[in-house]
Amino acid sequence: MSETETVYRTSPARTGKMMIIMLGICIVGGAIFFGMWDYWISAPPPVAAQMSGAEDHGAPAVATGETISVDLNFVQTDDGFTDLAFNALTGESGHNPTINANVGDKIMFNVENVDGGFHAFGVTADDEGFSGIFPGSEVASAASPLTTGDSGSSEFVPSEEGTYYYICTVPGHRELGMVGEIIVGEAEGPAEAAAPTGVSHDFNVDFVESEDGFSDLAFNALTGEEGHNPDFVVSSGDEVTFTATNAGKGFHAFGITASPDDFSNSLWGSEIASSAAPLKAGESGSATFTAGAPGTYYYICTVPGHASLGMQGSFIVE
Amino acid sequence: MVLELQKPRPVWQIMFSTHHTDVGLLYLIMSIAFLFMGGALALLIRAELFFPGAQMIADSMTFNRIFTVHGTTLIFLFLLPSASAVGNYFVPIMVRYKDMAYPKLNAIAFWMIPPGGALIWLGFADFTWYATPPYSIISAPGPAADMWIFGLKILGISSVLGAINFIVTILKCKHPDMSIGQVPLLAWSFLSSSLIVLVAIPTFAAALLMLLTDRLGVTGFFNPAMGGDPIAYAHLFWFTFHPEVYVLVIPAIGMMYEIIPRFSRKPIFSKSSGIFAFVLLAIVSFSSWAHHMYATGMSFTEKTVFMIGTLAAVPASGMHVFNFVATMWNGRIKFLTPMMWSIGGIALFFSAGAGGVANAAMPLDFTTHDTYWVVGHFHLFVMGTIAFGTIGFIYYMFPYVTGRMYNENMGKIHFILSFIGTILVFFTQHVLGLYGMPRRIFDYPAIPEWVAMNQIATVGAMIIGVSMIIFLINLIHSSAKGKPADIHDPFGLGGKYYYPFESKNPHH
Repeated sequence: MSETETVYRTSPARTGKMMIIMLGICIVGGAIFFGMWDYWISAPPPVAAQMSGAEDHGAPAVATGETISVDLNFVQTDDGFTDLAFNALTGESGHNPTINANVGDKIMFNVENVDGGFHAFGVTADDEGFSGIFPGSEVASAASPLTTGDSGSSEFVPSEEGTYYYICTVPGHRELGMVGEIIVGEAEGPAEAAAPTGVSHDFNVDFVESEDGFSDLAFNALTGEEGHNPDFVVSSGDEVTFTATNAGKGFHAFGITASPDDFSNSLWGSEIASSAAPLKAGESGSATFTAGAPGTYYYICTVPGHASLGMQGSFIVE
Repeated sequence: MVLELQKPRPVWQIMFSTHHTDVGLLYLIMSIAFLFMGGALALLIRAELFFPGAQMIADSMTFNRIFTVHGTTLIFLFLLPSASAVGNYFVPIMVRYKDMAYPKLNAIAFWMIPPGGALIWLGFADFTWYATPPYSIISAPGPAADMWIFGLKILGISSVLGAINFIVTILKCKHPDMSIGQVPLLAWSFLSSSLIVLVAIPTFAAALLMLLTDRLGVTGFFNPAMGGDPIAYAHLFWFTFHPEVYVLVIPAIGMMYEIIPRFSRKPIFSKSSGIFAFVLLAIVSFSSWAHHMYATGMSFTEKTVFMIGTLAAVPASGMHVFNFVATMWNGRIKFLTPMMWSIGGIALFFSAGAGGVANAAMPLDFTTHDTYWVVGHFHLFVMGTIAFGTIGFIYYMFPYVTGRMYNENMGKIHFILSFIGTILVFFTQHVLGLYGMPRRIFDYPAIPEWVAMNQIATVGAMIIGVSMIIFLINLIHSSAKGKPADIHDPFGLGGKYYYPFESKNPHH
């Protein structure tokens, strides 16, 4: 550096500019950071679902329409470790009740932690350990368990015959006695569709939406109004014709499914349009099919998410 | 800004510049920002551990997220970029070249860091900086975990690009009149650490991809349920990250080599032994990775090999310490802030090294494995040696970068408080480990010794926190209103000694 060259020094203005830029980044970044704090840990890794057995028990069972409701309480001895069980301690009546069900039955669990300790619930096909919990059957988890007085519910639809276990998924609790059996037999009764009866029904449904298009979706009338999501009752073997009209502004499609969450498997060729090629506003379509095995089914909007927003009703086959 | 020797320009011109001093400035500002962000998390961790039980952090998962991001930030977003900042400013000047060899690549390497940092900070993953499999594969919630993996991937590529640039600049762009032995030791430190980066990082890059595909369920490299082995990850990870320790420490030692002769007003005792020790450290850094895994059931032969490999780093480190002491011997030492940080750094380097030697002995390792001893040991290295060297050098660069002098008294208070705090925190943690406290825990039983030592450590951390606030005030205030520095001799050392801008560089 020669003597004549000017020496440049930072000025308060430049330092201030740098501070404004840095603080600006921190404020914007901080808002995103704290605003989405929980979002970033909301999705388990894909391999977890694979390992829990979701892939092994691929096809969902065809619902039989039968629902078995089971109330289970986590109970334990006062010291909290010599005996753990469901409903009643070892030797008492009602200890770890065995549940009998058939393939396709929906078993509803209502579980409650009554005696303290930390517990969580799940159904597994493994005869030891606490892994392989069927998705949807779990209540709480070992990482965020039920504490005293907490309760929750879940459901399990067995898709194969065999013995399943409902357990406390907190590691070690199953070995201490918190385990009961679910014995699943072959689907019985008139699971087969009856012969065609020659009776035919014509049903009309309209897809309706609330003004904003997303806060309420329903068939025929919005929640609380007359004619909201009517039940349709037919006999097995009846010929049914559905005509669906899109009276809203969004895209909709129709189908009858075994479960309102199962928007991808419509039964008996009942689907009208599809989520990929839906009914646009004002369009309508119809489908004619023969009602299958008796049970409670659901007619839903098969566009993903719409059923859970309210576009679902019961379709009962007797 | 003196080192850049250019007129003040609009901010966007500095941000999109490819000139080495501009990129160095960006590296410097960003790494200081991340130092404070990562440090704030450290204080949060220590505050939580002041008493047994949950104090201010909601649950153990949040605690895990905090210490994961604390570690990742301070290693990848403070230490590495701050070394790059120094390298960017000084290496081209020291080898008498107009810029880095590939200026655009240099700017790209910098601009990969902010997105990487954003991914790490927004996601706030919870599987420790080691990304512990199989937890990280089968349980760690996404997208945070995936964001961490991509963030580290980006930062790894950035390090490799930076390393290529340093190597080419030093080996190919040095002035033709300059032999490789005449290249100053600071530049030599960047050459050897860049060579380590080039060899070490690809292994971790592969391990990150394997983690990602394992998480997706496509592969099962580290997933025991699919026939994989988490220990394989430990090997891949530590093959990168044990050498990475030397990647961090070698530039810090290089910075001390710059400061100590300057403030001792005496030439370096032995430059050739310094070069030799750098090269030796770079080589032996690859012979010690498995000492992190003694407890995983390796054979006795393997353990012996890696124990000897670890101890092989001792002579090289000893050479540096000897060189520093011999340089200061009989020198007219001026104890200004940069010199105090360097001397403190040497003292703590020696202590941390002694702890490391004890730890490398495999029988002792079984007692200390996964306890607070390990936390104390490596923090003493990264804080006591690497951060001390770096902070000292930031003080040293300050007048050249801003044209203004920092506040000497505040700098000294900063050093004294940090030195006391570092000893309180990390020496105590060694003892805490011998008392059996495991690392990475959110809550601990109320054993009186544990509680007492945790409280001492927390008080020490708060002292460091206070000193860092003084540092921040000093940096901001002095860069705005500091006394104008005498650019020819900002430290009043007499001017007979070499300053970087005085090198016979036709471009500067």
